[in-house]
Amino acid sequence: MGAVYRLTLRQLTGRWRLSIMAILAVMPVVISVFMAWSATADSVEEFEEVVLSGMLAGSIAPLIVLAIAAAAFANEIEDRTLANLTLSPIPRWQIVLPKLLATITIAGSFIAVSAFAISYIAFLGDMKAVLSITVSALVGVVLYASAFVWIGLVSTQAIGVGLLYIILWEGFFSGFVSGVRMLSIRHYAIAVMHGLDERRFADFDHVGFTAAIVMSVVVFAGFLFLSIRKLRTMDVP
Amino acid sequence: MNNSVNGESHTVKEPVIRVDSVSRWFGAVVAVSDVSFDITPGITGLLGPNGAGKTTLLRMMTGLAATSTGTVTMFGEPVRDNPPLYRRIGVMSEHETVYGFMKGREFVKMMGRLKGVTDLENAVDRAIALVDLAEAQHRPMDTYSRGMRQRMRLAATLVHDPEVLVLDEPLNGADPRQRVHFKRLLEQLAADGRTIVLSSHILEEVEQLADTVLLIVNGKLAASGGFRAIRAALNERPYHVRVICDSPRKLAAAVVTLDSVDAVHMDPDGAVVVLSRNVLDLQVELPRLAQSSSISLRRVEPLDDSLESVFGYLVEQ
Repeated sequence: MGAVYRLTLRQLTGRWRLSIMAILAVMPVVISVFMAWSATADSVEEFEEVVLSGMLAGSIAPLIVLAIAAAAFANEIEDRTLANLTLSPIPRWQIVLPKLLATITIAGSFIAVSAFAISYIAFLGDMKAVLSITVSALVGVVLYASAFVWIGLVSTQAIGVGLLYIILWEGFFSGFVSGVRMLSIRHYAIAVMHGLDERRFADFDHVGFTAAIVMSVVVFAGFLFLSIRKLRTMDVP
Repeated sequence: MNNSVNGESHTVKEPVIRVDSVSRWFGAVVAVSDVSFDITPGITGLLGPNGAGKTTLLRMMTGLAATSTGTVTMFGEPVRDNPPLYRRIGVMSEHETVYGFMKGREFVKMMGRLKGVTDLENAVDRAIALVDLAEAQHRPMDTYSRGMRQRMRLAATLVHDPEVLVLDEPLNGADPRQRVHFKRLLEQLAADGRTIVLSSHILEEVEQLADTVLLIVNGKLAASGGFRAIRAALNERPYHVRVICDSPRKLAAAVVTLDSVDAVHMDPDGAVVVLSRNVLDLQVELPRLAQSSSISLRRVEPLDDSLESVFGYLVEQ
């Protein structure tokens, strides 16, 4: 597993990719600084709605994860190097899991730093709020990574499919159709944040904490299973 | 084995690879059609023109691609989705499947680690020495020539000392010196009892390397057997030769009397087309005949010397 993990880390940490990730991760921090500067009575709710739910969980995190996760397998398929791994005497899960972990390591580093910074700025060092936001952002990273790694295996247009998913499903439908929230990674992340710090974050229309944890486990395990199955049955170029 | 040329017989050995009634289609396109053969230890060449289905067949033989029908087994086990079996196989595809950011040694070492090699450093040293690339092993692979990348890939294929080697167009990009080295290496590996399958679309390449040839044309097994039998069949093949001269009718009347000529006809554009089963004699006799008949030859060209036509001839037999 270690060899595949290290290989994937090296494959996914090109200078350009890291630069774009850094720019995306800094954007919500800049917005937070401006919001903290012009704070009003409604600022916490506005911060939660705009920065946490809209930007971090709804667009920045999935975009960063998509850019990395989609390449985890898609690059190997395009370069025809995937056969180096699939012709090795290791079970398929020992290929999928380290690739997923490498994706989470890279994307999670950017997202965790970004989430930590914006929450620290917004909540003036309230560590419980800071940790709840950082942990929930990482939950989002793990779930998005499992979904996008699978998309990178099944589609040659992983970035396009992933963008459609982010914009239509996570951005549009889950925002307007309440039932869809039970199938929304963004809302699981938000629910985890609420569950970890009920004191700070106002309860509004979100998925329950327990339901979010259960659904997170189901989604992660489901996409992991689908990726392993796909790798076992696909024709490797 | 099916379709043995001239019914050539071989010493019966236990098959290492068995391809049984294998077909593969992509939508309406049939890439491989009902192919069956056994492969025993030694060097087997998979020969066929580009697009004949060699790579698809090799991919099914290594488990990279599924069969539409039929089965492929290696050491009696199915190759598809059978990771433990891959410890015994080394595969080098026709594509340059390397990580350019890695140094040569790093690449071989990583492949050894993936294959579960225990004495890794020694195995890497041995594999790199086999391909004679010790001096370049600490350079990034994107600085290698194509031939060097091929050799380092071969080292990575050999690092776990596999019993079966499957090499798809392994001599692409190799210079004459590398070809000689590669030939010696394969002979050495085969002499150690390994089973080696290599593909090529170049007759001479397979002739130099392989003991046994599987001829694939249009997704079908056209012939199999020793190369001499296949070469003999090729030598009996009639060739069309087109001759342009200043007196085509005079040449046609004269050339038909030659022993090396089977038939003669005129092209609509005035060229003489000669059908010969003995091109070597025709090459000598034709200029002599033209000189003695005071005919000026302007151009002599083979009409069907492409590999496809050569294979096509064998398929028709």
